[in-house]
Amino acid sequence: MGLLERSDAYWKFTGQCTQCGHCTKACDSLIAADMTLGDIAQALLAAERESETVDQLRMNIAANGQLVQAVRGCFFCTSCKNTCFAHNDVCDLIYNARVDFQKLGLIPREAWSSVLVDEEWDIFTAYRAIHGIGYSDLTRHVATEEAPAQTGFDVAFFPGCSLAAYGPELTREIFATVEELGGKATMIDHCCGSSLKSAGFFDRAETLCDNNSREIEQSGAKQLVCVCPGCANDMKKALERTGVDVEVVSLAAFLNEHGFTPKRELPDTPLCISKSCQDRDGTYLEQTCELLGVDEQTPTIFHGCCGAGGAVSAFDPDRQAAQADSKLSFAEDGSTVVTMCPTCTYTYAFRMMSAPRNLQNKHYTELLFESQFDWSTVFYQLNSMWYGEYGAWLAQVFA
Amino acid sequence: MNEQQQAAVAIIGYGTAGVNAAIALRRFGYAGVIRVFSDTNTLPYSPILTSYYAGGQKTYDECFPWSAEELAELDLEVVQDCPVTSLDVAGHALHTPKGDFAYSKCVIATGATPMCYGFPQVEGGSYEPLVLRSMDDAERLKGVLEDDSCKRVLVSGASMVALKTLEACLNRGKQVTLVGMNPHVLDFNALPQAAERFERGLLGYGVELRLGQTIAAVERVAREGADAADGGRDWQLKVTFSGGDVDYFDEISVSHGMKCNLDFVEPGTLEIDRALVVDEFMCTSDPDVYAAGDVAQATELISGQKRIVGIWKNAALQGECAGRAIACELAGAEPTAEGAFKGSISMNTIAVKDTLFISAGTMEVTPERRVEVRETDDMTVLYIFEPLPEGGERLVGFNLVCDHDEEGSRAYDTGAMLTLRIEAACR
Ligand SMILES: Cc1cc2nc3c(=O)[nH]c(=O)nc-3n(C[C@H](O)[C@H](O)[C@H](O)COP(=O)(O)OP(=O)(O)OC[C@H]3O[C@@H](n4cnc5c(N)ncnc54)[C@H](O)[C@@H]3O)c2cc1C
Ligand code: SF4
Ligand code: SF4
Repeated sequence: MGLLERSDAYWKFTGQCTQCGHCTKACDSLIAADMTLGDIAQALLAAERESETVDQLRMNIAANGQLVQAVRGCFFCTSCKNTCFAHNDVCDLIYNARVDFQKLGLIPREAWSSVLVDEEWDIFTAYRAIHGIGYSDLTRHVATEEAPAQTGFDVAFFPGCSLAAYGPELTREIFATVEELGGKATMIDHCCGSSLKSAGFFDRAETLCDNNSREIEQSGAKQLVCVCPGCANDMKKALERTGVDVEVVSLAAFLNEHGFTPKRELPDTPLCISKSCQDRDGTYLEQTCELLGVDEQTPTIFHGCCGAGGAVSAFDPDRQAAQADSKLSFAEDGSTVVTMCPTCTYTYAFRMMSAPRNLQNKHYTELLFESQFDWSTVFYQLNSMWYGEYGAWLAQVFA
Repeated sequence: MNEQQQAAVAIIGYGTAGVNAAIALRRFGYAGVIRVFSDTNTLPYSPILTSYYAGGQKTYDECFPWSAEELAELDLEVVQDCPVTSLDVAGHALHTPKGDFAYSKCVIATGATPMCYGFPQVEGGSYEPLVLRSMDDAERLKGVLEDDSCKRVLVSGASMVALKTLEACLNRGKQVTLVGMNPHVLDFNALPQAAERFERGLLGYGVELRLGQTIAAVERVAREGADAADGGRDWQLKVTFSGGDVDYFDEISVSHGMKCNLDFVEPGTLEIDRALVVDEFMCTSDPDVYAAGDVAQATELISGQKRIVGIWKNAALQGECAGRAIACELAGAEPTAEGAFKGSISMNTIAVKDTLFISAGTMEVTPERRVEVRETDDMTVLYIFEPLPEGGERLVGFNLVCDHDEEGSRAYDTGAMLTLRIEAACR
């Protein structure tokens, strides 16, 4: 092994890239870096070739502003990959590059200190603790002081961090429905580790998912219901890796299968669906459209990242905002933007706070269930926790 | 270690598949000699970029995806200008104009050559039609396209390569006529409804289409009124089409299919169907000879049969698979399932100016299969579904034509999404 831990991945990518340049034109970050994806792999290998020590390597990479832009400015939206005639795997390339960046100390701590979701405290657990949001009554496979651990569940519900933290009523309402339709349920209130991957802690993200798998196995659940396509993908891989025979289904597919009756009418505004970029082959989109009772062709659908992917906000907040703007600009005035992943809902809400638009912004579950996100309260609470009685503690924990 | 083990791993052909085989050999730990036989004296080039070079969108240097420094890191012994002329499978030796070379394992990665099947003998003087594969071909095409005296080009064939040539001509401001024996462009890659939308795009760029026709005769004739302003071109090509029409062109480009470069393989020494038949590790019928890229016939996912899927990514993945398997074997281990070639589907993307075409999977519409068409203002998508024995159906192919070619657009996202769906349904 050379100085780079992941040079194998860069060689692999280098072999597969013909340097046609189409990917560059698909991405503002690559345009800013004036690089193709193949250039990224080749630049990393060149930096390694030109360095004799790790310090030199760090300096060589840090001095290459284009390379840093390309690696840290990536949302993992796969727009470039989709444009590449060979569908070369940008995610594999950039995740590996982030691992090397992390190892080399090229990602500053403030970019990830609050999203170490495999530690006791991260931004979600802190928010939940400070604002009294807990699910010990729903995570029934875990023993509490009041109740022993239960087993023999039919289904485990995986809301994901954003929904569990920012939409507790919605989380509970969905959980109740999952149990009503699918049998005895428990909740897995952990993270899938996507923020760890973005920060270059790939192995830790996998370990986290593997631990989730084992927890699910112990619960006895036969099915894992995920709200977010990203969580579903990561958990599918982890269950496979750990040899745990549990079927992963999206909430939309689960509700379709069980003949769920929506608890409210769809809004009479036009719908504009923001396809999750983690939904690579559009399966979840199809399931969501079926659940909403809309033809996949009827609503406007826009692809690509909402701006939250890849922790780009910690590198270039303007790029995140511009990405959210560019996606929202597809939605016709007065329409309802329907998201498939709660983090996208959060991101659009955040953006529309400072740049309001005549749009409704709803996670698809909000169109089906009674409970709703209350974003102004969420943002107020998120902001205030840094200044209130917990401010000093947070500053210390996330320093 | 016996003599055979000490001999180099030979790679015949320094293209995509060859380079990827070399990269994989090193990635998977092979530290011995890798001897690469190249019939050129350049770095490996990308055939895909040749039309961009001819059309003025890429420089010469940009057609070589891998730098000399990168390739040097692989520590290859490249024998340049040295086409392998014969492969002695039993004797583990390669014969070349520069002598004979022993090998322990060999990867055949010699790609394909464009053919001019059916192109008639030119009367009235010699004329070699333009073809496109190598940098030399591209150089010739570029020269022609930069020549102001060449105003009208006839592109014969309607495949991907023909359309790429056509695009290069349009980019250079040439007047282009396309002649194709099938009723539609894109040959076996598109269903009629998609091809028609693509054809409307071509017509919009002033391309004259002569579909369902072939070139019956070509005669080199004197150019009437030729003067210095024509750059001294005092001849032109009189073309008679199969329907009887006659027209005049300055140049003709021909893309009438490809032929695998396997002339150096003695008949009967390796199993050859349309190309070298390989197993999931790219091994041919001889355990020490592997094949990858356009010369290999490996598993095509939809049919489950061994077919040539002549695309870049396939060549890269197959080269990698062969290199990895050889590295494994030479280290005394069995190749692992993880390193096996997972099979592939045909995938094509082409944009002529603003008209984009993406396809993947099969275009064979059998009686059981169902075609669904979805059309919007700027896009047509055709889906081919196949019933599943257990009920339901799977997507086995699609065509997408969009009137706007914009990188990162919904058309590309849709194309990628459908491609993934086909792959997932087949695996
Ligand atoms: C104009 C054009 C456009 C294309 N566009 C696309 C596209 O958009 N997408 C896509 O996926 N694919 C495209 N392709 C196909 C793609 O380029 C090939 O599938 C791919 O390059 C095959 O790689 P290979 O390594 O098998 O062959 P090659 O890349 O051709 O390499 C083979 C090498 O071996 C050499 N060789 C031959 N015989 C011998 C010998 N006896 N001894 C030594 N060396 C020898 C050849 O000269 C060549 O250099 C295109 C091809 C062309 C020509
Ligand atoms: S994944 Fe998205 S953000 Fe990353 S390089 Fe590709 S297009 Fe750009
Ligand atoms: S589009 Fe694909 S092949 Fe072309 S430069 Fe980008 S990664 Fe390489």
